[in-house]
Amino acid sequence: MTFDIEINGRLRTISIERTTAGFYRAIVDGHPRVIDGARVGSFGLSLLFDGVDGSSRNVQVAPGSERGELLIGVDGKSVSAVLNGRRTGRAAADGGSQADGEQTLVAPMPGRIVRLLVARGDEVAARQPIVVVEAMKMENELRSPKTGRVKEIAVGAGDSVEAGRVLAIIE
Amino acid sequence: MKILIANRGEIAVRIIRACREMGLRTVAVYSDCDRTARHVLDADQALHIGPSEAAQSYLSVERIIDAAQRTGADAVHPGYGFLAENAAFARACRDARLTFIGPSPDAIALMGSKTAAREVAIRAGVPVVPGTEQPLDERVTDPEIARVANGVGFPLLVKAVAGGGGKGMRTVNDPSSLTAAVRTARSEARSAFGDGSIYLERRLVRARHIEIQLLGDQHGTIVPFVERECSIQRRHQKVVEESPSLAVSPELRRRIAAAAAAVARAVNYSNAGTIEFLLDESGSFYFLEMNTRLQVEHPVTEMVTSTDLVQWQIRIARGEHLDLDPEQVLSAHGHAIECRIYAEDPDLGFMPSPGLIRGLRPAAGPGVRDDGGVSVGFTVPVFYDSMIAKLVAWGASRPLAIDRMSRALREYQVLGIKTTIPFFLWLMQRAEYIEGRYDTTYLDRLLTERNGTSFNELTEDDEEVAAIAAALDAYLRATAHTGAVNGSEVATGWKRSARYEALRG
Repeated sequence: MTFDIEINGRLRTISIERTTAGFYRAIVDGHPRVIDGARVGSFGLSLLFDGVDGSSRNVQVAPGSERGELLIGVDGKSVSAVLNGRRTGRAAADGGSQADGEQTLVAPMPGRIVRLLVARGDEVAARQPIVVVEAMKMENELRSPKTGRVKEIAVGAGDSVEAGRVLAIIE
Repeated sequence: MKILIANRGEIAVRIIRACREMGLRTVAVYSDCDRTARHVLDADQALHIGPSEAAQSYLSVERIIDAAQRTGADAVHPGYGFLAENAAFARACRDARLTFIGPSPDAIALMGSKTAAREVAIRAGVPVVPGTEQPLDERVTDPEIARVANGVGFPLLVKAVAGGGGKGMRTVNDPSSLTAAVRTARSEARSAFGDGSIYLERRLVRARHIEIQLLGDQHGTIVPFVERECSIQRRHQKVVEESPSLAVSPELRRRIAAAAAAVARAVNYSNAGTIEFLLDESGSFYFLEMNTRLQVEHPVTEMVTSTDLVQWQIRIARGEHLDLDPEQVLSAHGHAIECRIYAEDPDLGFMPSPGLIRGLRPAAGPGVRDDGGVSVGFTVPVFYDSMIAKLVAWGASRPLAIDRMSRALREYQVLGIKTTIPFFLWLMQRAEYIEGRYDTTYLDRLLTERNGTSFNELTEDDEEVAAIAAALDAYLRATAHTGAVNGSEVATGWKRSARYEALRG
């Protein structure tokens, strides 16, 4: 079975085949690796890599918030992986400061709009604060995903917003 | 004795643990969204007290007193946050014949006003940071505040009179940004404390935040502890605390501790409290404020002095005499560091990251203490502070404590929500942190310089491991449904040849 896996903007093509019970051959962009793989609980994966060092890696794989997204935990760090597709929406906005075209700014959590810091038509720089949202007792600045112009502001001060709600569009 | 815990999350769990060890029964209270919260699961009794909004549950004096009376509790522990520094709540407990595990209502009221507390310190002969002596309530006009600000001098801090926990606080570097800062501070203070009054205080340059934990019994004994250093702050919120401080010599320690005890004595203080100071580069220290409650960072003091502050709070409230050896608790055995683990995404400007916890494996092992407040299957609500655990590491020396903290952070697994663990892993490797060269503005400057660089960047090797894990996970899920998981799968001819080709290539 072959999968396209995108992590931090880099795409890898990985084929997985079972060899004997518990052993798998993974071909990563053409390079084969033999792995002893075992599930540990609902989300844990223990990987023992064949080779001189026989390294043991303990990884957590959990479903992400978007379709095809997986959250991978490795040694205290956490990255999002997209399976067989291109990332869309918020995940794209995270790393897309150079991206062309429209980008939407969405509420990452439910909250209340405290202040709008820009108006429709304003020129904005990447990471410039756009709107202040209060959630979990703190005021948080949401920043522009790209350099561009504010095409639309979709909320007003005082509005309550759900997670995923589009707040502004930057073009 | 039965104790009602008027709080939630990790501090409620911490208090339940102390009660269990003392053979005391516990009552938890909970709101709608906290039905399966850990403090509810862990307590001997649990009572629903209202909707998720804190104002109608954890902040409702009436409902909490009612819960205490219905369950026959003898005492109430307020934890920190919520009603912990609310004098009216302490008074209501007393009026309902419930023992309030904390200071007297008068001490809470007096030290709760930041401006009144400054006066107490001045009268006790303790230096304070230069600033306005009177609160500036909402009627004071912008031009008037600007005039007062010029007297205080820039840079300055706008602070909420009723403040705490870094809320309602803003730094102002020049007069042009004063009005906007006052407006935000007032708005945050109004929503957090119901009082928009502010005051101004000079911002000391390159200062460190040093604080003295103390205990006072009801018989006039006050015992100050070895200092904590809490200079690692993000937007005025402490994120890492440690004890002792690299910046405090034994001689300075005695002077700061004596100053702290003098302030506490001036208000006949009893139970646990903390006096906060700023320490400048010349070694001069200034009173900042007093917290009339247990603090989030109390575990680092417990770890280096081998005391249990929560148990002492309960014993003091029962009228027992403090019989600690003052010399012993004024010196640190080893070094302890605490990281506050928040449900926040450090890669999204530390945005709150509430949601379902799918997996959890806290760090453990030698010298590691996890004061956690959540469990698998619990949804971190949007209604309250987002701290899910305090991770504490103890080592025989500071470098050993840092190594141990790094090890523990790598071990700590939280699945389903984002946490600040990757941020702490990064911080523990910074040369300035390791060498102790920092002040209260260090972290904010460092984060600005990073300008959004991810804390979750993986090495090439680790990224490949993550990708392989994602692919293997997908493969196992896909084959699980075809009954092929038990090794019964036989590779078909075309699969085998494809693999062979790939291996040759």
